[in-house]
Amino acid sequence: MSHVLVIEDNLSNARLVAKLLNHAGHEVTLAEDGEMGLTAISDIQPDLILVDLGLPDMDGQTVVALLRQESSLNGVPIIAFTAWPQATAYHMAQAYGCDGIITKPIDTRTFPQLIADYLQNAKAAQ
Amino acid sequence: MALYTSTPHFKLEGPSDQIAIPTSSFNFQELADIYNQSRVDYIVPMPMNARRMEEYVRNYDIDLDASAVSLNSNDEITGIGMLGVREERAWITRLGVIPESRGRKTGQFLVQSLLHQARQRQARQVQLEVIKGNDPAYNLFLKFGFRQTRELLIIRRPPGIPTTRQLEDVSIRPLTVHEIAPLLQQRLFKPSWIEETASILKAGNLKGFEIKLEKGETGWIIFQLKAFQMEHVVFYTPDENRELMTRALLYTLHQQYAKQDTKIENLPADSPVWPIFEEKGYVEAFRRYEMVLEL
Repeated sequence: MSHVLVIEDNLSNARLVAKLLNHAGHEVTLAEDGEMGLTAISDIQPDLILVDLGLPDMDGQTVVALLRQESSLNGVPIIAFTAWPQATAYHMAQAYGCDGIITKPIDTRTFPQLIADYLQNAKAAQ
Repeated sequence: MALYTSTPHFKLEGPSDQIAIPTSSFNFQELADIYNQSRVDYIVPMPMNARRMEEYVRNYDIDLDASAVSLNSNDEITGIGMLGVREERAWITRLGVIPESRGRKTGQFLVQSLLHQARQRQARQVQLEVIKGNDPAYNLFLKFGFRQTRELLIIRRPPGIPTTRQLEDVSIRPLTVHEIAPLLQQRLFKPSWIEETASILKAGNLKGFEIKLEKGETGWIIFQLKAFQMEHVVFYTPDENRELMTRALLYTLHQQYAKQDTKIENLPADSPVWPIFEEKGYVEAFRRYEMVLEL
């Protein structure tokens, strides 16, 4: 069972993602902003982090940049979660060191497999 | 969406039995919630919380009595629009219509309300920025007589020391706090509203340094330094050796503040030094069109 940290300010999105991940057998920690997300990693060791790029205070890019500076998260995939146009989202996610992007609104049918693939790739890379 | 019940300072009537009331009737959390609801499906969602809304209002001289929230005949909130006011100029910002309320000329009504308030405050010019690709908003503003003046870039840079080598023989001098305001005032080009001197000084936590090149040309860079991010980055380069100076300024900035993420808003898209920003690790997030209306 993997542990996924989800940093997402929109409660509906967060609940949907948590439900899908729980259903797929993953443990989920939700954080509603960047500061809570950064605090969470001192308590848990996530296997994957999903970061909404459109957070209200410290934005998603800054959060990703700070997560990438944490040595304890080496090898942990960080996936940008965003409603931005795909080309822009990809460009930005790549620049900030994300391992992938998932666009909103999520496709509930493919979302669990996308997460499984990222986790599998991370495990294979270790 | 919550029902509104307070007494308005002004009440402007619009189509489909809508009214506009001042945003001063709401607290910052309520304003952030309304704004976020109106932008939930926006091209580039940029949600706010109460703290960010308060900061935005303060730093950008938003007149909460002139800014408007629109309501329908059931007293349900349908949209929001804010107006910054500085002397004889006004700035329309944070305009949004709740998705369920679209298609009823709410956006048009909000713009009418804001322009009415701008005229009441003796503004001679109104400016705004609209995200490139937001054609409905762009066309709405054209209908009111706004004309496009510039295309602006919003760019980001992740933390890290620049990989390109520093130039030799530059001298670096930190700017004192007393030097910053006068230097900002000396800028020759017209900054966007959020990068005007009034905005930057209100943002606070300002730092800067001056660089002198080998042949004596000087340039400077001023920025807001926060714990994890640099914003409101403004700079001056001499016409001669502009590229050399830009490289030196950016290299020095990111070498000294390697841990900060950087956001620069509203760099003119036709800036000759944009390629140097790209060279130093900046990426384009999105673009805006600046538009102006003479009243």
